[in-house]
Amino acid sequence: MSWQFNRHANESHLSQPFSVSFSPSQRIAITGAGIVSPLGLGWEANECSLAADRSAFRPVDFFDTTGLIAKTAGVVDLPAESPFHRISPHKQGHVDRGTRMLLLAIREALAQAGRQGMEGIDALVIGTSAGAMPLGESYFENARHDSGRIPSQLSRAEHYQPQRQMNSIADEFGWRGPVIIVSNACASGANAIGWAADMIRSGRCKRVLAGGFDALARLVFAGFDSLRALAPSGIPRPFDAQRDGLALGEGAAVMLLEAEDARQSDALGDVAGYSTATDLHHLTQPDPEGKAAIRTMTSACAQAGVSPAQIGYINSHGTGTPFNDVAEASAIAAWAGDVVATIPVSSTKSAMGHLLGGAGAVEAVICLMALRGQWLPASLNVRTIDAAVRFDLVQKFRTARFEHALTNSFGFGGTNATLVLQRRTA
Amino acid sequence: MNLEGVHIRGIGAVSSAGWSAGDLLRTVREGNPLPAVNCARPGDERTWPCPVRLVPPPPPPDKTARHPRMRRSSAITRYSVAAALGALADAGHDPAAPPRGLGILFVMMNGCVNYTGRFFNEVLQNPAQASPLIFPETVFNAPASHIASFLGIDGVVSTLVGSPNTIVEALDTAAFWIRSGIVEECLIIAAEECDWLSAEALTYYHPKLIATEGAGALLLSAKSTGPQVCAVTGPLCYTTWDERAALLPDLAAQTRAKFMGDAILIDDRCGIDRIDRAEQAAWSGAHWQAVRSPKLILGESMGASSALQLVLGALEARDTHQPVVVSMPGANTAAYACVITP
Repeated sequence: MSWQFNRHANESHLSQPFSVSFSPSQRIAITGAGIVSPLGLGWEANECSLAADRSAFRPVDFFDTTGLIAKTAGVVDLPAESPFHRISPHKQGHVDRGTRMLLLAIREALAQAGRQGMEGIDALVIGTSAGAMPLGESYFENARHDSGRIPSQLSRAEHYQPQRQMNSIADEFGWRGPVIIVSNACASGANAIGWAADMIRSGRCKRVLAGGFDALARLVFAGFDSLRALAPSGIPRPFDAQRDGLALGEGAAVMLLEAEDARQSDALGDVAGYSTATDLHHLTQPDPEGKAAIRTMTSACAQAGVSPAQIGYINSHGTGTPFNDVAEASAIAAWAGDVVATIPVSSTKSAMGHLLGGAGAVEAVICLMALRGQWLPASLNVRTIDAAVRFDLVQKFRTARFEHALTNSFGFGGTNATLVLQRRTA
Repeated sequence: MNLEGVHIRGIGAVSSAGWSAGDLLRTVREGNPLPAVNCARPGDERTWPCPVRLVPPPPPPDKTARHPRMRRSSAITRYSVAAALGALADAGHDPAAPPRGLGILFVMMNGCVNYTGRFFNEVLQNPAQASPLIFPETVFNAPASHIASFLGIDGVVSTLVGSPNTIVEALDTAAFWIRSGIVEECLIIAAEECDWLSAEALTYYHPKLIATEGAGALLLSAKSTGPQVCAVTGPLCYTTWDERAALLPDLAAQTRAKFMGDAILIDDRCGIDRIDRAEQAAWSGAHWQAVRSPKLILGESMGASSALQLVLGALEARDTHQPVVVSMPGANTAAYACVITP
């Protein structure tokens, strides 16, 4: 028996090589960005809120918080009308709240890039930690209360799957392409952007939409509450000496990433560096010295070809929990060395909460906005700066001149991710 | 996709056939569907049949139980660790001293369903008493984190969620990581655990679908010989069942154009005509040395199913020295197929 492998046979579109040759240090152009957060819908609304040092916490009213310590979160005000126009009302009924936020962010990113739809997009890479969790919760509650067959359970089981939620976005744009869903807890959004950048660097793709999202869900809210990780006051105070926990939030952000040779003149900025590593210390608690964070900051900066002194702003993971902030502050100090006191750092989670799978993407877009506008968003609610902080903690919105921003994301399971973004000048 | 120069150096599996890749190969070759049991349900008894094929108890001794992270770990983690250790041992690595520069890519669909159900039940009953020990185990990337901790891997570890054939994207990324020096070798693991909720969910798709569980692990390396994923067709993307049916003939034609001669086919058929029809039609008309349908024997392992197909394909290629075509049409996003050569 003989067989022969034909290397020249036709392959589908992702298999076709692009002209981009692999270069580890290749920058990736960001040609569009969209953001939905508790601070507002879209780039402009978020920029205005950050400039005003505004925060956005209020009581959660779409699930029961009885018995929980925390009652508030950063909640997105979604428009009453559906953002979906092309899929049927029946199908829209299956779309989760988080997916609606994601669609709004995608629309803004595409519009900013001057695109009507997703034609020409090679892949969608999205990070999420909870997906369409509320549909899963509904499936569970129905199953628990009724041991008989419930026909509507099929729809819940089907649309609970995050890839099915992404199908609704594909259908909305009439787009067919690969969807990759990264789920590395609170680093999912940053990892998705990094993953997409790698897809372009390797020449596998030329143009990728990447980002992250998560909507508030009862299970997750109760989970963080059970860990005593949520601030009882509802006010997160990252890097404050008396901080007592985080606040959850929800939102989505997306970047359109393109190979360097594509539409360079229109770019908003670049993804210049990305690195990920794993902290083996504990499933939920960071290594006190932030060893994995030191490695990701070092490696991402090396890929970007910059030193710590060239980083003009760090959007920290900065949750406001006692363990996280001291570990990150230690890591930044160790990584930056002598220049640590000159590096401005803030946590925008102080204004909008922790967006979990959406956090890394939202914070990357905030870095892009800051680079474009040459301003620094603030860490709000700080009364006394923690002794571990040796960097320049930005406590009020201010202007600045800088070329590179870095954002950290750390997640349960020990996932650490760092992105370095670079400013584009006209 | 470009997987050139990257070989499958090690293979491991846990399935309803047993705790080794050998158990999987032998059982699927024998071709007798494994016995199913009725899935237990909390509360009132179910009014309809819901059979499952569970992974049997592990053979003693359980080498993993003493690790601190394994004390509370879920079934999906235990299956994954066992499959990963199997792949490392198969590659000649000492599992007690895993190679440096190892990365992990984990794929799942439903995730840690047992702990998720248990935790949410506690939340509904009294959230003030919901267990803080259980909640972190509900997170999608908990199994990957436990494996990393167990093996001491502090580098690149990532979890993908999606259709079972998302593992093909993981193969592609692992090959990129290896070629670009991000990792030296990469463990790709896909796993699923069964619970009453996911077993019932399958019966809503079709009453005769039987849920199962398990994990498949492939150790990819550029430093060895061994089976190779030589050609990948796909992703051919769809969002509806009709689009899927229309794409599958292309999937088969493109794949068959990539080699000539005899091969073994490992398909995705589950034994239900409505679900299998398009795939069966797409691959018909070709002569196959053998056709293996692991789902007919094991059941529907959801996020692990494509991994178990690939494991089986690599084992068949290695054992028979024949190329193996693995058909992974998927259920709701994209279709893939690949050719594994010895």
